[in-house]
Amino acid sequence: MTTYRITLANQNDETYEVDHRRPLLESLRERGVDLPYGCKYGGCITCAAKLIEGTVNQQAQVALNNRQLANGYIILCVARPTSDCTLEIGVESHDTLYRNPFLDPLAPHELKADIATPKEEAP
Amino acid sequence: MSDNGEATCCGPGYASPADAMQAPREKILYTIAIYTGTGIQKPDYLCTIDADPESSTYSQVISRLEMPGIGDELHHMGWNACSSCHGDAGMERKYLIVPGVRSSNLHIVDCATDPRNPTLFKVIEGSEIKAKTNLSAPHTIHCLGSDIIISMLGDAQGNAPGGYLHLNKDFEIVGRWENSMGDIKFGYDFWYQPRHNVMVSSEWAAPNTFMPGFDLEEVGHLKYGRELHFWDFEKKEPKQTMYLGEDGLIPLEVRFHHDPDSSHGFVGAALSANIIHWWKDNADEWQWEKIIDVANEPHPEWPIPVPGVISVILLSMDDRFLYFCNWLHGDIRQYDISDPHNPKFTGQIWMGGLLEKAPEVNGVKVTGGPQMIQLSLDGKRLYVTTSLFSTWDNQFYPEIRTNGGCMLMINCDTENGGMEIDPDFVVDFGKEPNGPSRCHETRYPGGDCTSDIWL
Ligand code: FES
Repeated sequence: MTTYRITLANQNDETYEVDHRRPLLESLRERGVDLPYGCKYGGCITCAAKLIEGTVNQQAQVALNNRQLANGYIILCVARPTSDCTLEIGVESHDTLYRNPFLDPLAPHELKADIATPKEEAP
Repeated sequence: MSDNGEATCCGPGYASPADAMQAPREKILYTIAIYTGTGIQKPDYLCTIDADPESSTYSQVISRLEMPGIGDELHHMGWNACSSCHGDAGMERKYLIVPGVRSSNLHIVDCATDPRNPTLFKVIEGSEIKAKTNLSAPHTIHCLGSDIIISMLGDAQGNAPGGYLHLNKDFEIVGRWENSMGDIKFGYDFWYQPRHNVMVSSEWAAPNTFMPGFDLEEVGHLKYGRELHFWDFEKKEPKQTMYLGEDGLIPLEVRFHHDPDSSHGFVGAALSANIIHWWKDNADEWQWEKIIDVANEPHPEWPIPVPGVISVILLSMDDRFLYFCNWLHGDIRQYDISDPHNPKFTGQIWMGGLLEKAPEVNGVKVTGGPQMIQLSLDGKRLYVTTSLFSTWDNQFYPEIRTNGGCMLMINCDTENGGMEIDPDFVVDFGKEPNGPSRCHETRYPGGDCTSDIWL
């Protein structure tokens, strides 16, 4: 079994070895980490955490727009690690997850993947 | 009369809206409060609030029923039976059905055995609902006779349009209620008027669109609703769609007149901040018109004026007054709709909101704006709470995380119109034992102005 080391930066750098095939929410909760969640299928954002270092596969998520992805957010209920990772978890990691949509609009390339248009490169 | 004011000779509820208005005053309120999305790792819960001014615990939470797990996001709820069962002595208004939008769990809560301490009777797991019906994200609950139908806003993967879950009176899943969703793109609220063989349903968005929060740009990408659907109620299929367009962006709460003979009804278009009225004309054709248009308001820090965002509407039991909330502006309005084509603006109060007209009320900092409302059966007391939906709260009113929500009571003048915030009633959910929570929908044991339908 391939395992990766997950470090929780805002939990005194606690580390956990987790199975790469299983979603992080499941693995970490099983080990006693108290994490928020809602839908458990990648659609509601409640379980979002910030990936500080490392890589995950989170193809199944449909909750995050491209700006949130660019800010490093991952959806723990579907994200599986593809390397060792350092995370910030819980609402303390949500500083740039929510924004007032009228004051801070999204550019076309920052929308959710299904409606985003590619960013125009500067000539 | 039983304790909750309902006649004991027959089934639940009242023979008519006029009878309902004669019921004794509500003594307790059931209000849901959430921790989902707040950072507090505790279950959402159902509060029982003392609303009896003679009681020593008046205006306080007197009991709390925690759900079994975290992350439900309790939102709306409904009774197992209402006045639609009034003729059935075998039925009782005993259970509140309390769904979790995010978990899709349905909690069946016994409120009758000990009305001041409701208990959990049964849980229908979201996983069972998804497996049997391919539906998720429960919203509005109405009973019809001894059956219960629930609008479900998504399929099991959270995509629109979802459909309607049918439960029997023993809370077993019968299956899908509707025979067809037709061309309906989204679900949200619904109300039926059997004497006209009609159900009207409105549109929010797919759960995967609204649950993570509000991206305004998605409205332009047609990810949010702008249509109203008229159903053949007996055939259980949509018959006619009204395209409301820019006048009807995000049509949410749907209310028919309580008078079962009336064809008039109303919906609040949240983002357009309009009230839409519909009725059946002399040729038996359904018509609609915009009757109220709330102007966007300038804000010193906003590049564009702030829309009202009408998050809820409600009709008094005698169908004379329409109430609605502008969640972003921070006001509740009262209109006399005796002539439904020509509403008269009769009352207004301010509490919270982004326009800062009343940041503090009754000694409590109001975070959020007026959101869910519930009116007493006699029309004189309107209870209001401030949280909309955890992710949307976090976007528009981030301080709600530390301040929590609150509940206020508005005294309504049913003679001349007019509203005033009651100075002696306030429930501060910022002071809850497990930390600041957010309060949402309210119901009364004896029925209320958004639950009972007459056949
Ligand atoms: S729990 Fe809903 S997105 Fe993870």
